[in-house]
Amino acid sequence: MKKALISIVSFLLMLTMLFGMIACGPTETEGEAGATDTEGNIIVKIMFHVDKSSTEGQAYQKRVNAFNAAYKDQKIKAQAIFKARSAGASGYETELQNNQTEGTLADIITFDAPNTAAYATSGLLYDISSLISADEQSKFYSLNKYNGKLYGIPIQESSAGFFYNKKIFRDAGINVDGITAENPWTLEDFKDVCAKLKAHGVTAVDMRIDATKDETAPYLLYPFIYANGGSFVSEDGYTANGYYNSANTAKGFQFIKDLISAGYTSYAIGSTDFFTGKVGMYLSSGWTIPDLDNKYREYFSSRDDWGLLPYPKGTEAASATGSWSYAITNNHHTDKTASLELLKWMTSAESSRAITDATGMIPARKDAVKDYAPGSPEYTLMKQLELSGTERPVTVAYPTFSTTFNQIIFGLDNGNVTDLLNSATKTLQDAIDKIKERG
Amino acid sequence: MTVTSIVIFLLFLFAFGGFVIYDLLTAKRHKEVYRVKSTVTAYLMLLPSVALAFLFILLPILYSLGYAFTDYYLLQPDKIGFVFLDNFAEIFEEISTKGMLYNAIINTLTFVVGVVPLQIGLALLLALFVNRPGIGSKIFKVCFFAPVVISLSVTAFLWEQILAPGPGGLLNSMLSVFGVAPHDWLRDPATAMPCIIVLSAWQGCGYQMLIFLSGLSNIRKDLYEAASLDGANAWHKFWNVTWVGLRSTFVYILITVFIGACRIMTQPMLMTGYMEHTVTLSYYMYNSGYTERLVGESSAVALLMTIFIGGITLMQRRLFREK
Repeated sequence: MKKALISIVSFLLMLTMLFGMIACGPTETEGEAGATDTEGNIIVKIMFHVDKSSTEGQAYQKRVNAFNAAYKDQKIKAQAIFKARSAGASGYETELQNNQTEGTLADIITFDAPNTAAYATSGLLYDISSLISADEQSKFYSLNKYNGKLYGIPIQESSAGFFYNKKIFRDAGINVDGITAENPWTLEDFKDVCAKLKAHGVTAVDMRIDATKDETAPYLLYPFIYANGGSFVSEDGYTANGYYNSANTAKGFQFIKDLISAGYTSYAIGSTDFFTGKVGMYLSSGWTIPDLDNKYREYFSSRDDWGLLPYPKGTEAASATGSWSYAITNNHHTDKTASLELLKWMTSAESSRAITDATGMIPARKDAVKDYAPGSPEYTLMKQLELSGTERPVTVAYPTFSTTFNQIIFGLDNGNVTDLLNSATKTLQDAIDKIKERG
Repeated sequence: MTVTSIVIFLLFLFAFGGFVIYDLLTAKRHKEVYRVKSTVTAYLMLLPSVALAFLFILLPILYSLGYAFTDYYLLQPDKIGFVFLDNFAEIFEEISTKGMLYNAIINTLTFVVGVVPLQIGLALLLALFVNRPGIGSKIFKVCFFAPVVISLSVTAFLWEQILAPGPGGLLNSMLSVFGVAPHDWLRDPATAMPCIIVLSAWQGCGYQMLIFLSGLSNIRKDLYEAASLDGANAWHKFWNVTWVGLRSTFVYILITVFIGACRIMTQPMLMTGYMEHTVTLSYYMYNSGYTERLVGESSAVALLMTIFIGGITLMQRRLFREK
């Protein structure tokens, strides 16, 4: 009996110790700047949102390897962590939140630009305003700022526009030669072109109004609201009422509704209809360029068969922008010197070029942009970004904004714009207030 | 949180140890010396599975229960405050103002009421159909079970192609033969949920068919012979022999399909997104907890949903218990 009791107690103690050891994690020398390995190198961990084996992942790894070679003497070693995002960006974000909860947050993370406000308010991101010089900041097309403070630097940039089928345009007697990023068309010109295309017997434009399950529709369509003088939230990001449901915002959504009502676009356009010559225009981002260059050769044998038009201009000129960014985190390493070195390296012109060569996106730095031929799709996107790129609303409740935007687009054909906006405004304001209450 | 988890786990270990010691002392008091060794062995064998169940099932449930009374915001795990019943007040306010939660409840109830009889009915029909010897029945069994092994994401994608709007959609192009105009099945509030019900029943009924088949194999053949001798027709045989023999199987299937139906999320999430006409309770909880990051509110909804499902399940058991 006694023996049995002793063995049980010993077993439980062993289990307790084992559990404690697992919970405490591996023994590592921790310093203020980061963990230090056996060779005395300060380890700076950087977490990426893509798979390591992807082209983009490999480009990041190469830049990290190059950093390690260059900083060998300074005893700083970068360690890349790859957590491929799944189900949109939410899988990666869950990983970030778990790491924050567990206190294992990497020194540098990549994050989607619209999350800047929420991450900054929650203390996830480190304020780097004083660490990056004004001269250096001016080299970027955009920066991740919130309430005047700098929290992140974009990895790359994005812009979108209207890809068009030149053959259909020719056949419909439409000439768009003079329309450039510097001299954009107007919303009325846009409607006229749509009318001509419809009269020609094709669906005028795929506005992607069916893409309301993720960030696609908000990303591609929000510039139409700004173009009509509308907005979504106040400058501090805490007030939706009076902005999201303003008359100008309603005008923006009404413009899209009118396109649906006139039969210029619809929710029933197939995902490959533009690529197979059934639709005149297709609203999309730069990532469609490789598709048109390499796939669908039967319909688009060369760049002579397709072109890219900028966003139409209303009372304002606005175009889609924003991509993923780097940020130094507010983790338990208080000395950010080593992290800052890695951040500067990853956002250098060389890194910017190397990464965008792999992704096909626009470099985040102006001094890393190639000399694109004027009139080429890449030039149009880059120039448009420079002249009219407007970021998505900066608010702590961005995910709710994105959801409500999708709901408005989803219900546009049958719903009343004012009712849809009032409902969306209430939902967004409630979400903002709840987060605000939590400090 | 890690420290709290360790403390709770240690408490669990000590409680478990207490049980063992109490059992051993009881055995000793009753002079059941032979029980000591077997008791120790039994508890030691039980410990790994009980510990794992505690860590991965009970502990998260306990946390979720606790979070329901807090203002836990996912991005601020170090600032969790106790708010007592505030989350529940907000829930009832959202229901009373017919907000998204109200839609989620209505849609979930619609789904449950639609899918439970359809899925079980289909499963029973298929089981009766394939419950006969021959190669044909084996082929049918495989065919009917095939959708079960396909992931829900793939199923949702396939059905999206079938239900695609416009004349190019598979269903629309088939219906156009009969002169029916193309319809946007998943955007129309009148057809979206019925479509999700049909695809869910199609996807899931193969599994219940197998359970019904095992139930059918337990019914003695001589009962059918006796019924035939008594002059029973096919319906009488089904009602008085098959159905009676399948009663306990049916109760099990009813409860599991009901619980599964209450948790529906993947299909609306992948096929329509977070929309009024298809949002469900689980999807609402996911959106609230992960997308909007309001874990406290999400946990409060989860708690109420658990109570609801538990209550209905108990009612079902009571209603269908053997007399």
